[in-house]
Amino acid sequence: MVKEQSPTLIALAASAAGLDASLSRRGFLLFSACAVSSLAALGLCEAFGASPPVVILDNATGLILADPSRCVGCQRCELACSEFNDNRSQPSLARIKIARALNYGLDGPTGGSRMQGLWGDGLVVQGVCRQCPHPVPCATACPENAIVPDPKTGARMVDAKRCVGCRLCQRACPWGMMTFDEDRQKASKCFLCNGKPKCVEACPAGALRFVPWRDITREGRPTVAPLSVIPAAKAKACADCHTPAAKKGARR
Amino acid sequence: MNPGDTARLADAAGAAVRAASGELRLVDCEAVLEALASGGQFGESEPAAREAARALLPGLLAGHPALAALESRTGRTLYYAPDLLSRTYARILDRKGSPLLLMAEEIRLNSRDYPRPVPVELFQASPFGLASEDIARALAAMAADPEYRDISSATTATGAVYLFSTRHLERGYAVFLAQRAESADMNP
Amino acid sequence: MPATPGGFAGKVLRVDLSTGKFSTQDTFERYGEFLGGTGLGYQVLWEEVPAGAGPFDVANKLVFATGVLAGTSVPCSGRTAITTIFPSCWPKALVGSGHMGGQFAAKLKYAGYDAIIVEGRAERPVWLFIRDGHVELRDASRLWGGGIRRTTLEISQEMGADCCVAAIGQAGEKLAPMATVVNSMSHSAGGVGGVMGAKKLKAIGVQGSGGLRIAGDREHWERLVKFHLSILGANNQHVVPAFPSPESEYYNPGSRWVGEPGKRWGAAQPPVEITGSIHDMSRISYRTNSAAYFLGEQAWKHTVRGNGCTSCPIRCHTTLKVPAMATKYGLNEIAQGTCIALNFGRFFFPALPGGPKGQAALEACMIGMNMADDMGIWSNYGQIQRDFIKLANEGVFQAKLGSAEYASVPWDKWRAGDPAFLLDLIPRIGERRGELGNVLSQGSAGPFDHWGIPESSWEADHATTYWKMGHPKHHANEDDGQCGVIINTQYNRDAQCHSHTNFVRNGLPLHEQKRLAGELWGSPDSVDAPGHYTRMNPYKAQRAKWAIIRKELHDCLGLCNWMGPWVASPLKERGYRGDNSLESRFYSLATGRQLDREMLDLAGERVFTLHRALTIRDMATVDMRGAHDRVPRWVYEDPQGAQPFSQGTIRMDREDIGLAMDMFYEIMRWDKATGAPTRAAYARLNLDAVGKALADKGLAPESGK
Repeated sequence: MVKEQSPTLIALAASAAGLDASLSRRGFLLFSACAVSSLAALGLCEAFGASPPVVILDNATGLILADPSRCVGCQRCELACSEFNDNRSQPSLARIKIARALNYGLDGPTGGSRMQGLWGDGLVVQGVCRQCPHPVPCATACPENAIVPDPKTGARMVDAKRCVGCRLCQRACPWGMMTFDEDRQKASKCFLCNGKPKCVEACPAGALRFVPWRDITREGRPTVAPLSVIPAAKAKACADCHTPAAKKGARR
Repeated sequence: MNPGDTARLADAAGAAVRAASGELRLVDCEAVLEALASGGQFGESEPAAREAARALLPGLLAGHPALAALESRTGRTLYYAPDLLSRTYARILDRKGSPLLLMAEEIRLNSRDYPRPVPVELFQASPFGLASEDIARALAAMAADPEYRDISSATTATGAVYLFSTRHLERGYAVFLAQRAESADMNP
Repeated sequence: MPATPGGFAGKVLRVDLSTGKFSTQDTFERYGEFLGGTGLGYQVLWEEVPAGAGPFDVANKLVFATGVLAGTSVPCSGRTAITTIFPSCWPKALVGSGHMGGQFAAKLKYAGYDAIIVEGRAERPVWLFIRDGHVELRDASRLWGGGIRRTTLEISQEMGADCCVAAIGQAGEKLAPMATVVNSMSHSAGGVGGVMGAKKLKAIGVQGSGGLRIAGDREHWERLVKFHLSILGANNQHVVPAFPSPESEYYNPGSRWVGEPGKRWGAAQPPVEITGSIHDMSRISYRTNSAAYFLGEQAWKHTVRGNGCTSCPIRCHTTLKVPAMATKYGLNEIAQGTCIALNFGRFFFPALPGGPKGQAALEACMIGMNMADDMGIWSNYGQIQRDFIKLANEGVFQAKLGSAEYASVPWDKWRAGDPAFLLDLIPRIGERRGELGNVLSQGSAGPFDHWGIPESSWEADHATTYWKMGHPKHHANEDDGQCGVIINTQYNRDAQCHSHTNFVRNGLPLHEQKRLAGELWGSPDSVDAPGHYTRMNPYKAQRAKWAIIRKELHDCLGLCNWMGPWVASPLKERGYRGDNSLESRFYSLATGRQLDREMLDLAGERVFTLHRALTIRDMATVDMRGAHDRVPRWVYEDPQGAQPFSQGTIRMDREDIGLAMDMFYEIMRWDKATGAPTRAAYARLNLDAVGKALADKGLAPESGK
């Protein structure tokens, strides 16, 4: 996916974007989110140098949608996830998150009439990975480029061989969806189980569905204080696309 | 009709029966024929092909491995897909046109097979769907008709009405079972 | 040291409240022979609690124990047994267990423990903090005197939202025999709350990020779990729907499978309609609606959703929302419960306007759920309500209570069936206030001891459904003839056994039940039609033994005996068969130790026999038959004078029951005259030391006669 630098490609991309051929790498391109897919189609990710940071991931093709109004709080989804993927019955490893909102909702044990969960109005808000579009917080934060798209579904998955257990991805996810296996000292996250998510299959109330991906990152407030974590090399690469508007003169 | 056409006819007929079963309908040969015709099965040589099919259908449907048949209360043979409709349910559907038969047979089956009396409210609920006046009328008609002399009722201490058949259940036992059913929620 | 078998967390935690010290033991090494759960509890009681210890004595211990399968995705595996010298057992407290579901079992295991043994007594109220192997006793003085809801909230504020809290309310603090321990809102363990109160332990908060290793192959495990799901019915393993369905040959209006397509969770926002196939694996949670089963169709519009124990898809608890609760009574609009706890409020009224399934009944249940599960009051399987009605109707309250106290009770509301009556009554019981509250909070022992009412009058009255030793029947002859009678003789509280009743009430026609029974217990004659019982035969004894052993096994493995065993199923293609070896298959896969059905049942028999030994030791008599395995008089009578074995009566015959006990003792290989296990019986189950200790006191016959 990320290959050796190829001047031809840069020129290709530049002319595709309507820029003149003398454009430096710095003032390269400005793309909208929609164009990210076509970027991949054009193989333009290859444009970035010998050991370039992975900045842009194609969108996932699938997504787990969770319906709180159907969730019965049985936690079978968490158990299916960890039993199948980790060979352990361990909800703390589950890549779908129920336990933390099960009793009191996302706001925790506040008391009062607005509380959700078992001790409140009964509603259980499930935590499900949004398979974020670009910029993918966890992938961007990873200094080892260990969070990569699954070839089948595009799900953002942790390549355990590359993961060094630094936990920066945990800090970066606005919804606290990263899992960290203390025994193995590796991060993990929802990778959609090769297109047949175990949690969806396990839910006895039909509260989970596997659907075509759409961007839900603006729905449901973040539950973790945001902290931009971008390794320096990647931050530089960000600037390649995200140039000040005045310098562009580009047509999209 | 050549074997290939016959096989195709059998498949199409099976599919038509399945479609009806999926909609909780039982169908006889004529209805299958109708469904096939309106689905364009017979094409341009319609009248002849249709007649040929009419002759073959009973045999094809009877021999179809994925279908079941029952003798309707009207005397016709009705077909359904047993993986979509249980026999019990199919028989209920068959009797829906006649409240007397609908109720009486169900009461008798319950009295014989489980055995138990049934609460009268059963017949208001799906799939029986009878209005309480219809039930009352049917019960009155049964009381007057020797054919239904076995259909009887028991009222529990709390006033709940249960229906049973004396062919299969003695009154005392029916009363006991009715009482037991009514008080089940006090015996969690 | 051998590796911990799969499934187990690995450690048992001991907490000495007198010294504040903690220690741990290896679960399997120390307690493996008794599996876990009640078995572990009985072992601790046998080895460490002296005969004659009272329930509230310092010497008594409280053993919270779950089982090897709890915390995994095995369906219906969220159970914890709490074993102790049981306060409401009368006249002499003996070994007994309360049982609770919810999240506690799983959370305890994720925290690293299979069980907690609570010993001693704290000087001041404390609560036990457990997080991932880190344990502390924290001051509970600010919690003491408060209800379970607030206790849970405040502990969660200290530990985190994902902790699970098992707590007592005011009733347990005041050592009421009718006190519960409650976790996860509505999951209560009966009778044991007072022991916790006596030890000044207000609550246990558990939080854990650990996990359990499954020894077996992952694909094999997944297949077995899916198989189990496929043979599930609805609550109590009722395997046919309550409504005629195109997907079922059979139906039963009395089935707990009430989730008919077209019905909906009316108080969900927006309402959730039940659609699709009733056998769909992603629709299992819609089959059961306990509120609708008990309170009728009206409950659907108030249903928010189902709820229940970790890992269980059945959701036998119903979460209800009734707006009138706030406006009429100042209580939470939302309440949740199942079975007896759901009915706690309704059962106090002989009559209610609108009937047992009307609005008043609904409101009474909502009040009961909210208040009883907050104050931690036990109903003793509905006995507290039946006792109340009898005492009120027979003028005992009027005669015995002081006139001022009697006048202070709003009897007019009770007679009118006004649910508001409960707002006065329930706190009296929970706070043990006045003579009324004090007596009722003792259970049936209250009227017996305090007011000198003879137990025999309870035993003669059908309406009490009283059985023995302060407790009622629990699925006895009214459900299952001799089998039910045998089962109800064997414990020191109500039997809490559902193995037999789940089968006979599963909704299949009698001929299907008999066919399955022939395969399972050797003859179709092991099962009768309800109320049309035939004479005793050895197959019924076999079935009674199976029912008890399996119940004990479930209580040891963390499985739910309100659902299991799973010997019948909804599947026509299986001939409606379930799987009689399911427990052993799961046990073997989880632990990596291969035990077939017979071997695991043998372990269950060992556990149950230890319960028998404890009972014999603490009653200091070998004559179980005469002194313990009693049957109340009403069982041998019929209000209409019907004869035993005629159609339409549950009346049993004394001689026949005598024969039933003979056959049961025989099949258990116990001494027929006394019903006590013999030395050989103990030895066969690897309980030689137990047998010898009892024999030394003259409490173990040498051989059966």
